Amino acid sequence: MNELIERISICVERGKVNKTSPYPKDLAGQDGADELTRQALDSNLGPDSILQACNVGMMKIGERFGRNEVFVPELLMAAKAMNAVMAHLKPFFKAGTVKAKGKFLLGTVAGDLHDIGKNLVSMVVEGNGWQVIDLGVDVKPGKFIEKIKENPDCIVGLSALLTTTMASMSKTVKEIKEQFPNIKIIVGGAPLSHKAAEQMGADGYAPDPQGAVEFLNEFIAA
Amino acid sequence: MSLLLSQTEIEKNIFEVVINFSNLQIDKKEIESSLGYPEDMIPNHFSELIDEIISELPDKCKIKAGYCLAEINKQKEKKDGLTIADKFFNMDRLVTAQIKKSELAALFVCTIGNVMENWSRQLLTNGDPATAFLVDTVASITVESVTDLLHDFIGDEMKKRNLNITNRYSPGYCNWPVSEQQLLFSFFPQNFCGIILTDSSLMIPIKSVSGVIGIGANVKRKDYVCDQCGMKDCTYRAVRSRLKSI
Ligand code: B12
Repeated sequence: MNELIERISICVERGKVNKTSPYPKDLAGQDGADELTRQALDSNLGPDSILQACNVGMMKIGERFGRNEVFVPELLMAAKAMNAVMAHLKPFFKAGTVKAKGKFLLGTVAGDLHDIGKNLVSMVVEGNGWQVIDLGVDVKPGKFIEKIKENPDCIVGLSALLTTTMASMSKTVKEIKEQFPNIKIIVGGAPLSHKAAEQMGADGYAPDPQGAVEFLNEFIAA
Repeated sequence: MSLLLSQTEIEKNIFEVVINFSNLQIDKKEIESSLGYPEDMIPNHFSELIDEIISELPDKCKIKAGYCLAEINKQKEKKDGLTIADKFFNMDRLVTAQIKKSELAALFVCTIGNVMENWSRQLLTNGDPATAFLVDTVASITVESVTDLLHDFIGDEMKKRNLNITNRYSPGYCNWPVSEQQLLFSFFPQNFCGIILTDSSLMIPIKSVSGVIGIGANVKRKDYVCDQCGMKDCTYRAVRSRLKSI
């Protein structure tokens, strides 16, 4: 692997955003994902290979998360570094030179206003190369349906904080599945479980953002 | 130890309690473990960020707390639950077993306001999710610490009347449906402590806690019966380990 590319991958994994960012301590003062991506593009390394490097970085941090060696904060730092890379790659996405892995339509269900968990999921999923369409909080089933019509190739993510709003989640899943039986839905939030997800007819459940990424990776657009 | 807190009776049997930030004890170890880190494993960077966030707390926490005292109806109920004043609460035996010997109930709420939440959201919008997450976690631990303090305070007040208190229980825990928040809030005046309850039983600000404490001559505050419940990361397990470590 090209040295620059390899360093980008390490920066993503370690959450090193840019030169001035103090995290992680042992990389203080060194170039971060931001500077290295610029350099890589300037030396004509293609966006594809840069993205590939990011994927490796995100995968490695995800694996370490799975082994309980790192925790949500490290995962979020990696996502932040990844977003620094993405800022440079935006033009290539716009031009269609590179493609997102797919679309993730995410929202907190009707009656629920809790958003921090959902936002963290959004950040990490985006960092993993997906286009995230965030519908915000208190999203009625009709709104999801409308957006699915506009993005028929999306995967849907629903979030809820309380058991009371899980009922609203269940209703949302049913309404979506009635109209779009093939749309995949993953649910999450504190009161959810695999069992609850199954009972409401969702296709998946994950307790954390990394789990959402692993679920999504099974459906990467060809 | 008696606490330096004070209360005002704003309506008959409804009290607002003044809690200053200086009354609180924020346990950094608890924050770290709630983030998932085993002891002393948190990277320095995050540990320092937590210190900075804690130093902002006095400015950013708008603490409000209060409770309502109401009589517990001792008539035998046909199903599990408890009648407080004339309202039937659909509580599990896990809860009623602890409270049923009480003569009175203190229905309480407390909050740290929405400044911390908004700060966290702002950080996220500005592309700093890790700090946003830390702020959110510190805020959660802080409101739990406010709840501990309110609980102790109610205990002290009741001691003045020669009464004891039980553990506290919250809708949404120990099989007590969270929808019963509606009933609990019906004991309070509108907008009590600045908290609004939505139709879906969510309290706004998010960093708020509600619950009930039993009061009587023959009750006591004892260990939570967590062994009878499968939930591993429940707040009462945390309370229990806090009490044990004192
Ligand atoms: C900390 C905490 C609190 C704090 C802060 C609450 C908050 N969320 O900000 C305080 C002390 C204020 C609190 C209060 C209450 N709580 Co509370 N609380 C918790 C606790 C321990 C952690 C929740 C949390 O904030 N996690 C951190 C955030 C960032 O995580 P998150 O939002 O869950 O999101 C993560 C994942 O869920 C996931 N995720 C989220 N969305 C999505 C979506 C998708 C698609 C995917 C894949 C993943 C995903 O990824 C996120 C990042 O890791 C949970 C138990 C638990 N271990 O989960 C109970 C819990 C959420 N609380 C519960 C209850 C009942 C309450 C109260 C009603 C109690 C009361 N009567 O006072 C109140 C309600 C508050 C309100 N505003 O109405 C219940 C809710 C279930 C229920 N019975 O309805 C829980 C589940 C505990 C339990 N009994 O099992 N609580």
